[in-house]
Amino acid sequence: MSNPTIEIKKPKEDLNYTSGLRPVHSDSNPDAKPLPKITIDGKQFEFKPGDTIMQVTERYKLHEEIPRYCYHPGMPIAGTCRMCTVEVEKAPKLMTSCSTPAADGMVVHTKSEKVMKSRTGVMDFLLTNHPLDCPVCDKAGECKLQDYNFEYGPSKSNFKEEKRVFENATTKVLSDKVTLNMNRCVHCERCVRFTDDVTKTNDLVMVNRGWHKELDVADERGLHNDYQGCLTDFCPVGALTWNDFRFQKRSWFLDKKASICDRCSKGCNIEVHSDKDIVYRYVPVFNELVNGHWMCDEGRSSFQDLMNPKRVISPLLNHNGSLTATSLATVLAEVKKSAAAASSVQLIVGTDATREEAALLKDKSSLAFGRSVTVHFHNGFIRSSGEDKKLDALLRMADKTPNTRGVEEAGLTPLANGEVSADIVILFRNGRAGTPKLSANQKVILWGVWTLDEVKALPTTNVLALIPGLATIEKEGSFKNADGIVQKFHPAIEHRGGAVSAHQVIGLLTANK
Amino acid sequence: MGTINVSKKYTAVEKAYLPAILIGMKITMKRFIQGFLFRKSWTIMYPEKRRDYSDRFRGAHFISVDPKKTENCTACFLCETVCPAECIHIVAEERDEADNSYGVAKEKKPASFDIDLLRCCFCGFCEEACPKDAIKLSTNYEMATYSREDAIVDLDHLKRPMNGRHEKKDS
Repeated sequence: MSNPTIEIKKPKEDLNYTSGLRPVHSDSNPDAKPLPKITIDGKQFEFKPGDTIMQVTERYKLHEEIPRYCYHPGMPIAGTCRMCTVEVEKAPKLMTSCSTPAADGMVVHTKSEKVMKSRTGVMDFLLTNHPLDCPVCDKAGECKLQDYNFEYGPSKSNFKEEKRVFENATTKVLSDKVTLNMNRCVHCERCVRFTDDVTKTNDLVMVNRGWHKELDVADERGLHNDYQGCLTDFCPVGALTWNDFRFQKRSWFLDKKASICDRCSKGCNIEVHSDKDIVYRYVPVFNELVNGHWMCDEGRSSFQDLMNPKRVISPLLNHNGSLTATSLATVLAEVKKSAAAASSVQLIVGTDATREEAALLKDKSSLAFGRSVTVHFHNGFIRSSGEDKKLDALLRMADKTPNTRGVEEAGLTPLANGEVSADIVILFRNGRAGTPKLSANQKVILWGVWTLDEVKALPTTNVLALIPGLATIEKEGSFKNADGIVQKFHPAIEHRGGAVSAHQVIGLLTANK
Repeated sequence: MGTINVSKKYTAVEKAYLPAILIGMKITMKRFIQGFLFRKSWTIMYPEKRRDYSDRFRGAHFISVDPKKTENCTACFLCETVCPAECIHIVAEERDEADNSYGVAKEKKPASFDIDLLRCCFCGFCEEACPKDAIKLSTNYEMATYSREDAIVDLDHLKRPMNGRHEKKDS
């Protein structure tokens, strides 16, 4: 099977709208049975038998016409919110488009007067108890309740009574990652269905009925699945909010650029949300071949490693036993000098290097350092991609580096027994791969993404120099994930420190004769 | 580069200077007599006397506080969003649960709230955008400082008691 290459791009639609359904066409063979046809707003569309009306609109990218709260393309259908009702000719009442199967010859109107009146009514009911705390709510700006109220809502509420307040659940910490504000909930139950059918952990339930219906954790384990961040993505209101992002930034200030998560070998497609090149959160983007709609919490929190204030972003040189910041030219000249003086040099490429970096280091490092350099790769979690395995049924992988297969493909061999054997060892990694076993006075040169804590934790104190490198979301390249899919990505933020790309370092070293 | 000639040819009367001096002296004498003999003043003795401005005058900012001296601001960033001069800089944080007697109403608070008065154009959009009536523009127009740094005011300064623009009277 040939390996597909994907360029990671931001889809036009919102995550809650994107679906993998594509248009279908009848077989050109005249003997074959033609596909059934449905008429939506005066246009005819072919569909696959079994589709619901909502799924037909998804096939033809008409889904923006139909508002929805409970329907999500990645989850089973519930039909609880009544927002997606459409008018079907010859049907006595309005039908929920998410749960009504499409039929041959059906005529559907999504914008008729009756439908609009129904949507206004549904919005009026949803807003009866919704607090007017948009200024404090983190969802404001990307909230479906705001959007649909702007589009369909009544200009004035008919509700004169006192609003319902959940005294014990206004700011309820469900886990260390997610906070619940029950007053804002519109009871779409996407979260409950997600834990029931996607993660299959059943950790959320709705308790009580009607006016008192309340979201709660199912048992004493609390909210414990590994995909809690997704709850905050698809919650159409600000009921469930991600603690890392809580009160940090208003959503309309964020720059959104597509990139790739480098926390495991799955290579989930993400959107980096940043303002002034400070990353505030990662959000998954839909890719049906890789991660679907979801992303794990480990990957979602991994931006904090990058935004770590202790990350080294300036070239360091060992001066009288302590690492001192200096210019890149000085560091590179010293690195080259000590490499030339050493009896043997080993370059250990972490499996978080891009395919381009791996190929470059394999081909050019001997030329750049002006002497023979043996190049190996080191992963730190597994020996080779053959040992990689799934940690659960959804996304998480045992290999916590993104490009083991790509580095193997570049022709690098793993380090025997995870031990180094040269006089000077150059460790190249992008903040994810582990470090090999080092003896107490092994001379090392660090290259790539390192934090001060990681440098201090090294068993050796003989660090000659540190060349800072760009992290995954700051550079361009491609990863080959555990399923053999090559994904190209582009920089999502601009690096504002002194780190430079591996290509630039190799270029400078080669030029520096 | 082109040159613009702004020099002017003077007429014979202008060249004589004297008529213009006489016209000027006439105004000077008129004001002198009005002020000195009839006590008509054209200036005010500033620090002791202050000019009355309209109630709609937009002067120095302040943040309104509740009876417990807690700011009404919930760090919603609407003023920062609407500000055309980009002079407002807010950092939000969660209020300590231990000393939060307000519950959910004031769970979010500004960790810092800085206004760069040198950048501010006193348009009053922040006051208009504020959903909590927290940021207001007072009628105070005395904002001179000794340094540029002093012109960047912080939350403690903004919370000082101020005379706001007049409340809307019941009529």
